[in-house]
This record gives sequence, structure tokens and C-alpha cells, in this order.
Amino acid sequence: MTLTDNPSSKALKDFLAESEEIINQLSLDLITLSDSAERGECDPDVVNSIFRSAHSLKGLAGMFGFADIAELAHNLENLLDRLRLGKIPINHLTTSILFDSMELLGALVRSAGTDGSKPADISAAVERINACINTPGDGSGTASIESLGLPEKVLHALTEYEEHRLRENLLKGRSIYSISVSYGLDTFDRELGALFDALKKGGEVISTLPSSSGDMETSISFEILFGSSHETSAVSLICNNADIVITRLGPHVNEGLPSCHTLQSAALSVKVSPGNSSPIDEPVLTAKSLSRSMRVDMGKLDELMNIVGELILSHSTIADLSARLRSHGFSGLAMELTKAAKGLERKLNELQKGVMEIRMTPVGQLFEKMARIVRKISMDQGKKVELKIFGADTELDKVIIEDISDPLMHIIRNSIDHGIETPEERVRQGKSESGVIRLSSYQKGNHVVIEVEDDGKGIDIEKVKRKAVEAGYVGEGGDLSDKEAIDLLFLPGLSTAEQVSEVSGRGVGMDVVRNNIQALSGMVDIESEAGRGTRVVITLPITLAIIKVLLISASGRSYAVPITSVQETLSLESRHIITVERKEVMRLRDMTLPLLRLSRFFGADDSSGSMDCYYVIVVGLAEKRVGILVDDLLGQQDIVIKPLGDTFKGVRGVSGAADLGDQRTILVLDTGGIISEAVRNGA
Amino acid sequence: MKTILITEDSPTTRSMLASTIESLEGYQIIEAASGFEALRLLPRERVDLIITDINMPDINGLELISFVKNNPNYSLIPLFIISTESGEKDLERGLSLGADEYLVKPFKPEQLLELIRRYLG
Repeated sequence: MTLTDNPSSKALKDFLAESEEIINQLSLDLITLSDSAERGECDPDVVNSIFRSAHSLKGLAGMFGFADIAELAHNLENLLDRLRLGKIPINHLTTSILFDSMELLGALVRSAGTDGSKPADISAAVERINACINTPGDGSGTASIESLGLPEKVLHALTEYEEHRLRENLLKGRSIYSISVSYGLDTFDRELGALFDALKKGGEVISTLPSSSGDMETSISFEILFGSSHETSAVSLICNNADIVITRLGPHVNEGLPSCHTLQSAALSVKVSPGNSSPIDEPVLTAKSLSRSMRVDMGKLDELMNIVGELILSHSTIADLSARLRSHGFSGLAMELTKAAKGLERKLNELQKGVMEIRMTPVGQLFEKMARIVRKISMDQGKKVELKIFGADTELDKVIIEDISDPLMHIIRNSIDHGIETPEERVRQGKSESGVIRLSSYQKGNHVVIEVEDDGKGIDIEKVKRKAVEAGYVGEGGDLSDKEAIDLLFLPGLSTAEQVSEVSGRGVGMDVVRNNIQALSGMVDIESEAGRGTRVVITLPITLAIIKVLLISASGRSYAVPITSVQETLSLESRHIITVERKEVMRLRDMTLPLLRLSRFFGADDSSGSMDCYYVIVVGLAEKRVGILVDDLLGQQDIVIKPLGDTFKGVRGVSGAADLGDQRTILVLDTGGIISEAVRNGA
Repeated sequence: MKTILITEDSPTTRSMLASTIESLEGYQIIEAASGFEALRLLPRERVDLIITDINMPDINGLELISFVKNNPNYSLIPLFIISTESGEKDLERGLSLGADEYLVKPFKPEQLLELIRRYLG
């Protein structure tokens, strides 16, 4: 089928979503393949799965008229077909072609999604694939499957690939078993799945041919071809939980046991016997597809979240109304209304929680993408890098996961590019030949922390200081602490790398990295030890959708501060404000807390300069803390943050606006940005 | 109302096939995302036509065709293979197992509708 004329946007979205899934699967499989190829092993199931991914993508792209994607996937499929049929060996060259092609496919799919971006050129990639296909194979021997005496019915239903796997198993000197098994129609997939899992530990499941048996309404039989170097008795032990007939095929008869034997296992049999479940008792299947999950457009979820946010506002209007009723003397009515409003609030909270949970995605997917990048860059640079992943099941808002992907990629690139040394250098330093990058994630209160830690050479702090002087960021002889020097890396144009590489560029990335993370109300911190490695810590809010804020006022204006970044609030008499080197600070327990006047930060009329008493909001993310001086605390509220639009994009210190429900709109403070700026200016 | 069973692991392709066929009056679609699902649905639904892909997880299209064509309850149900040009050998095997027609992706919706009309009238 083709949809070249004008695929509907819904169909196009489906295409993009499925293509992305296929490419993700492809990358996972490729990593497994290349790891096992390095150990000199190769799981045929993985190669076949990669083949099927390329095949699916080709079919899909063909239908949508994406000729480039279809053509590249087609060539890739040809190569993979030869790989899975053993005509071409799997080695460093072939895996690198596969990785590059997959990257290119990803780029093509992305440009298909955003029409306008210039699609990549595939001709070089296609040429490279074909050059590899046309390399003559090693022509290793073949084995004949005729000696197995397979029944015609089985033989004819074998695909070319399955035939090849039969031959391969014979070549390796394995025996081929025919395993006949019968299951209930309701449970066969589960039971067969369990049997396969058990069998795969002792050999390879080559094909599964279903056939009708006994009562066709309730049961189904399968004939499984299984290749294994185990004896029949061992294979019988493997499939130890159903009535299974195992037959050893072919000429191998040098075994003590008879070549055909029936195993009647009494113990632990969970087999559903065909007779005891009548079709009438069974629930009638009404669903067209049995799939238990579905894709949902993010836009729809956002819309739903907005509605939830508006409902929460309506609820506070009702609560307000009941308070007014009470003050007007209608206490009976007010009580009932309050009760109803409480009930509504409880349900709203559940609804809000439910919608939030739908948006939550484990960071594992993101980490898998990073695994791909680590592999590619380390390969390109001739460095050995092992990626260790921890906490892949930590959940984060899908939107944040999407937006953190690029900054995280950049940080990892930096680690490989500037951090991890070449194998020779590492050995000279007495380190292990391959470097380690630890990518970990964990939840910390309302935040999720993502850490990238390498065991490379660390940041040369003296060099950063020198560069900072050269670039004019710091005056000659300026006294910088190591921590301050590292923070300078986030400024545009500071890089300590001797050679500028294609991937990490000139270090212009780190300021962009920080801006992107701040746009998500997050923070990024770098710690480094010379010779030992560098750790980058990203702290992100779990969600950006509905947040609880503290409403405050300064110079007669109200603002909202996300409660997650508020560590404490306190009142402060003006005589306790200390001035150190022309900067205002206060003593907070045993530390000195820099202070920032919000009114001054926004350049508003600083009428509060003469007040006797202030409130201090201690905000902090990661290790940094600042006390924001405000005139008053007004209360807490749940809000939905809305973006300000392009016009106000450049306004510093503000991350968005929110509707308060009483026709008032309020600005939401970007605490991450305010803290960074305060720390940079020494508050 | 005639019932058509579509066995195809790609959800996008499946829903496109379904919406193409539903543009004709008088057909109802049942979708199976895998060979196993098709095996489970067959005894429960009165199916008038089967459309299947070859490359699928669990059991492949050829194994499904063999099952259908060797089972007296289903052997008369017309069966179409949908494949890509690279799977030629497997396509031939499918036809020799008793598949009635095949379509090679990408094809035009009219080609599919024409075949359906021919077999189901």
C-alpha cells in the first residue's frame, strides 16, 4: 500500500512513533550484537531481530513514500539477510556499518517528522553497504538437512532463514530434536513462552509449526525444531512440565537411550487438558486486538493536564465561595458546600496523580540512547569506554526526558572526548585500559538526579584559570577558587582541549547545556579531581506540569516560587543583614547565606530598602543556595505553568506565567536561573 | 458482513490496511499483532479471509499458512500474503503451502480492494 499522495497527520504520527520504536529496538540489538561479536560469539536471534527491524522499517517507509528511508533500509536488509544466513561474517566492519546506517536512518526519520530540515544523503551509506555485500564470503561448508528426514509438512513451512539455522546447528555438530507439544488455546502462548525460555538455555529454537489436534476449539499442537548439543535425556529434563514428545531426528543414534521417548511428567504439571474447559464457559472475545498498551499523543496529555489544572482552579473558587457563604451567615449551606468541595478535592488529587503517572517514563530509554552514543564516539576516537548504567527505572516526565536528551549527550561526549584518555595513556597512568563512564539516576524528594561520572583525566583547573584570564573573564591575578574556576566552564568560549574534535567542538556546548537544563528548572554542577575523573550532576524536577508554588510579594508585585526549590522561609530583621565586600549576606546557622533583593533583581522601585523586617526564602538546587529577600509571603497554591511566548523569552529570572483562578495572572520565578546569576555575580 | 483477519506485527501497517478495507461496505476487520494472536482468534471468529505478513515474531507467516491450509476447518479460507520484494523465496514457499494471492509492499490500495472483491464478492 502507498500513501504517497498525502498521508494524514495522524497516520504520519503513527509512522514516526513506530519508526522510532523500531530504531530504538535496532540500537539495543546492535549493542548486544557488537558486544557479543567482540567476545567472538553471536546470538542468531539477535541478528534475526535486527533483520526484522530493518525489514519492518523498509515496509513502513515504502508505504509512506519515504523513498530514502525505504532504500537505505532495503540495502541494510540485504546486508542483514546475508549476515543472518552466514554469508558474510559479523565483525568490526559490519557492525560499524550497521551502527552508522542506523544513525542515518534515525536522522532520516527525524527529518521526515519535521519537514523542512534538509534530509541526509544516503548514497555514500548505500555504496558502503553494497561494497560489503559484494565481498565474497569465506564459503564455509554447508550441511545437508535431508538426512534429518523431516516430514514434508515441516520442511515446506521453513523459511530460508530457518533452513539456514538448521544447517548451522548440524555444522556445529548439534542434534536436531523434534518436540511435539499440545496446549490449551487460552494459555498456549504463555506455556510455549515458558518452554522456549527453558529450551533456549540448552540450545536454539529453530522453528515452531502449529497444527490442529484433538479438539480444535480448545487446544492446539506445536512441532518445535530444536538444535542442541545435549542428549535426549537432558532435553527431556529441560522441558519438564507438560506432556511432551521428544524425537531426535537424523542419523545420530550413538546414544544410550532410545531415540524416541515419551515423557509423561506427573509432577508440577500445569497443563490445561483439552477436555475440561468448554468453549461456552469462556469469556467471549470482543476486543479486536489483544494488545494491552497504546500510544498517546503528548499533546493530548498536555491538554488533559491543562484541564486538570483548570479544574483545580475551579475548585479553589468553590472553596472560596463556601467561605464567603459562611461569612454571610449561611453556615448550614456553607458546611455542605465545604464538604462537597473536600470530596471534589480528593477526587481531583487522584485525577491529577493519574494523569501525572501516564506522563512518567523510566529514564532507561534515554540511557539506552546514550549507550549508543558512547559506543559510536569511543569507536570513532579509538578509545575504550565501558558504560555502566544505574537506576534506569527512575521515572521522569516524558517531556523532560525528551529535552534532557541533547544536553546529556553533550556531557557524555565531553567525557569521552576530553575526559577519558587513550588506552595507551591510561596504561601509562596505571589505570585499566578501558575507561568507565557511570551513568546513574535516582530520585531525591521532588527531584531526579542524573549523574555522569568518568574516570578520565579530570579538568585541568590551572589551565581553565589561565584561559579565563586570556578570554578576559577574570582580571590578571584574579583570585579564583577551584570551584569558581570550574563554574567558568559554563561560559561561552572556554575550552581546555588542545585539539578541537568534531564531536565536542570548542566547548561552546557547556553554556548551551546549562541553558537547556535551566529551561527545565534544573541545575547542573561539575566536580572534578585531576587524574581521577569528572562528575557532572544534573538535578531536575520530576515534572513540569502542575506544581505547587509559594506566592510572595515584593515591591507591591506578586510572584510564584516553585515550592520544590524552596528549602525554608524565615523572617529577618533588617539589622541582621550584614554587608561583606559590598554584598549583602546573612548568618544562617553556621553558614553565610548570600542575599538577593527580588525587587532589585527585576529592576523595580526598591521601596523595600527601608523596611524593618523582611522574609527570606532560602532557595537551593544541588549545592547552591541563595536567600531571596521579599516583603511578604501570601500562601501556597497549585498552578499550571504556561510559557510566556517568544516576546518574553529573554526575560531573565522568569520561567513562565500562571493563572491564579481569580482572573489574576502571576509570573513564576526561574529559581535555577536566579541562583546561577546570583552565584555568578557573587550575589 | 464478511470478516477479514489481518495478521501483521506493525501497528501502523495494520491500521492502514484496516482503514483501507473499511472504505468498502460490508467488511469487518479483526486484527492480530502476531501469529499467536491469529491462532487464538481463528477458532473463535468466523473468518472469511486472512491477510498475513511473513516476517513476524513468535510464529512466522509460513507457519501460519501451513496451519490454516492443513486444518479442515480453515483450509478453504482465502489467504493473502503481504510481503516485500526481498522475501521472494519465502513468498514462493507461501504460495506452495496454499496461499491464494500475494501483494508486494508498497502496493496501491486499489490492488488490495480489487483482490478482496474478487474473492469475497
